[in-house]
Amino acid sequence: MGKIKILTDEVASQIAAGEVIERPGSVVKELVENAIDAGASEIIVRISEAGKKLIEVSDNGNGIPFEELELAVARHATSKLQRASDLFKIQTLGFRGEALASIASVSHFSLLSKQNEEELGGKIENTDGKEFHVSHYGGPDGTSVIVRNLFYNVPARLKFLKSDITEKQKISSLITKLALAYPNIRFHLYNERQLILQSSGNGDRREILTQIYGIEIARQMLEVKFEDHPYHINGFISPIAITRSNRREITFFVNGRWIQDVALNSALLKAYHTLIMVGRYPISVLFIDFPADFVDVNVHPTKAEVRFSKPDLVFSMVQRAARRALLAYSPVPEISQSFWKSDSKVTSDIETQWSPATMLTNTDDQPIFSRSSQGVIDHDNKEDDFEKPIHLPLLRHIGQIGATYIIAEGPDGLYLIDQHAAHERILFEKMMAQISDVVPSQPLLSPEIVQLPLHQAVLLQEKLEILDKLGFEVSEFGPNTFQVRAIPALLIGINPQDAIQVVVEDFEDDEKPLGGMVETIIAARICKRAAVKGGQVLSKEEQRTLLENLEQCDAPRTCPHGRPTMIHLSVDLLERQFGRKGSL
Amino acid sequence: MKASVSQQELAHGLSTVSRAVSPRSTLPVLANVLIATDEGRIRLSATNLELGISCWITATVEEEGSITIPARTISDLVSTLPNDRVEMLLNDRTQTLNVRCGTNSTDIKGIDAQEYPPMPLPEKSGGVELNVADLKEMIQQVAFAASTDEARPVLQGVLTQIEGTTITMAATDGFRISVRSSTVTNPSDKAISVIIPARAMNELARIAANGDATVSMSVPAGRGQVVFNLKDAELVSQLIEGNFPDYNVIIPRSYKTHTVVSTPSFQKACRQAEIIARDGNNIIRMHIQPRMEGPGIVEISAQSEETGNSEVQLDANIDGDGLLIAFNVRYLREVLDVVKTPSVALETNANNTPATIKPIGEDEFTHVIMPMHLG
Repeated sequence: MGKIKILTDEVASQIAAGEVIERPGSVVKELVENAIDAGASEIIVRISEAGKKLIEVSDNGNGIPFEELELAVARHATSKLQRASDLFKIQTLGFRGEALASIASVSHFSLLSKQNEEELGGKIENTDGKEFHVSHYGGPDGTSVIVRNLFYNVPARLKFLKSDITEKQKISSLITKLALAYPNIRFHLYNERQLILQSSGNGDRREILTQIYGIEIARQMLEVKFEDHPYHINGFISPIAITRSNRREITFFVNGRWIQDVALNSALLKAYHTLIMVGRYPISVLFIDFPADFVDVNVHPTKAEVRFSKPDLVFSMVQRAARRALLAYSPVPEISQSFWKSDSKVTSDIETQWSPATMLTNTDDQPIFSRSSQGVIDHDNKEDDFEKPIHLPLLRHIGQIGATYIIAEGPDGLYLIDQHAAHERILFEKMMAQISDVVPSQPLLSPEIVQLPLHQAVLLQEKLEILDKLGFEVSEFGPNTFQVRAIPALLIGINPQDAIQVVVEDFEDDEKPLGGMVETIIAARICKRAAVKGGQVLSKEEQRTLLENLEQCDAPRTCPHGRPTMIHLSVDLLERQFGRKGSL
Repeated sequence: MKASVSQQELAHGLSTVSRAVSPRSTLPVLANVLIATDEGRIRLSATNLELGISCWITATVEEEGSITIPARTISDLVSTLPNDRVEMLLNDRTQTLNVRCGTNSTDIKGIDAQEYPPMPLPEKSGGVELNVADLKEMIQQVAFAASTDEARPVLQGVLTQIEGTTITMAATDGFRISVRSSTVTNPSDKAISVIIPARAMNELARIAANGDATVSMSVPAGRGQVVFNLKDAELVSQLIEGNFPDYNVIIPRSYKTHTVVSTPSFQKACRQAEIIARDGNNIIRMHIQPRMEGPGIVEISAQSEETGNSEVQLDANIDGDGLLIAFNVRYLREVLDVVKTPSVALETNANNTPATIKPIGEDEFTHVIMPMHLG
């Protein structure tokens, strides 16, 4: 027997499914995209147990003729493409002909479909994972796909799924994005029979934005309209006053396809460069429509990435479109004033962005990329630091220089320690350790009503118990709306809306809720009053105690604000510098 | 412009208007004081576009004119001048003001008065006359409860309502509310309800000298402003747009426990507890313990992991059940600081419902604080 064998169809299907169907969200994506390609005007999605138990996608589209049902679920069978060259003028979302076959190979699958002109529809089922059974069935026009027990035969994949909440969030975020891209289609999303999302299909994108981000933000979003035939960019971006702490709300659609592209992100961020704080990101939904032969969609199995034939042109257009909308609507005079005055370099940057000569040569993109790669290197260094033993070795105190830095010797060389940063770190860890589990809360005289974007509202609903433990008193108060009756005592002075927002963002980032906020407040308190300042002469005893306490710290290398507390000159480095060792 | 004024009056005038100067504005002229001749007097004005203060000082005017001068420069200069006549002479061509007093002569470069934001025309009629001493006390008892949170402008203001012969002021930051009412001598023909920034109210209390018997308050129609006219000064503030929370719903109508304590001892006890509580979350516990015979006891305690514990006992007249309730001590202390009567009543229902503080013998002042939960 030879060692090399052709894989059975079943195994091959499952391997292929691995590429396309990563998680319940991928099933929903493939099925909904099929529905869109079928010309549906209404799409209903039902999920149960985050899609692991049930995903049902029904549409009122063209349907599949009875005699082609078996073909529909076969591998590499598609109605959307015939020749390889068609790939470059593809108008439909799907084209690979893999989705249904892949889904069917990892689930209990049934598909019901009826074409308008057919009297009786058809049904194809695969309940044992091997064979398809076709039968007649009477039902409404359109197609319904029901996927039960996803990944029942691939337990490994089940293990890699995130929590139900995260998977559900991915699905609801996917549907909202598709609803935005196809405002003329009515979308409904039901979770455990409860309607959690719907769009009216009246073509008004701002209405869908309202569902996602709440009325306040939707109202303020700036409209982007950019046309340079045959290229179109339109959509919405947030004004500079509205930012998020992560890139998650930056969304791009290329020819109706939701894609993730680092370069497009950075083009958009460049439009916001210097207008918003470092580490804050805008909210955006941009639709880029280019001629089909301009975009290669056949790059990624789930089509989450595309390739442009002229990337530079695309990036410069995105950036110009966004910047133009920002500058046109920017309502805050103080900011723009200081913006023009204080930083002449920035001004020239903008001027060059407007001049067509640099648009194509793309010279001013260069610094950004080199800067960001610099950032990556810094990051690596930091990680190196973390790999070193966390606690400091015993240090022998030597003295103080410049009334700011303390010199000490360790077994591995010389340490220069910033006394202010070090003291901050010591006090910070001491105070963090003192925070007790009992959280006092300050109730409000009259409850505050807080409205949240849909996906955050869903998240918050599930975490209401945790909020109680944090010192909040929050209850549901209508759709996407919450009633806040108390906030943690530590947050007095922050308004309830902001406090809730901070917590939800922590949930989204899977961080310890309010952890960051509490740390910031404590770090600010320490910095303001307790820590010794640079320029303060310390007695020998004080310096020694500082070193001893720093040795006890869990993260002695940085102050609570993230600046380094010390510089380490290793013996090795000293020897090299003095030419005792190395290649000199 | 050519005029002379008394150094004392000029110094006082400058200090009156200086709080409305906005020293760090992108409009340089807002860092200046407008100095102008006005019907035989000198008018000093400053504004940060939200709050404007003008005051008039007696002067000998020889030549009319106006100029704006950096507020800091002129204030610092005038405060060091001898108590004598100050001669001011404007060089129109260079927009430089020569200030001469005693042996000192200083030329200060100014900005053309034309660039100064136009000051609103004084509203002489239709104002409500308010007693200055009353008004100052009202502001003192209410304005501190306003919020400093920029995100909720309505709470940064003092709701001021005049209806018939009653004037009521209220301010809240969401955790406590202060309400004070008083009577006006000449009733207004139509009801007024406006939200005035707490900052403007505090400035008004500062500039209203007890020498002035009355202040006239008017809300010119359609301008979104309130104008306070004093004898020699005027304060104009932008109003805050929005709906003020309905405080009548918040103020408890009844109580289960009525605790009367001496104001100074309660105030002192809070100050002592705050020394410990400020390192925690400003939390103090009040244990209200009625006794079968004689006065009851209120025990105020604070503890902080870092600093230690504190405990104070107060004698109290308690009517009702005992209660253990927690407060933010800062809120308690701030209201006790403005209570004028020798004893004060604390009215409580439960440890999670609002508590009311009322001075004994002064029905017009009510303060409500939301207690804290200890988790």
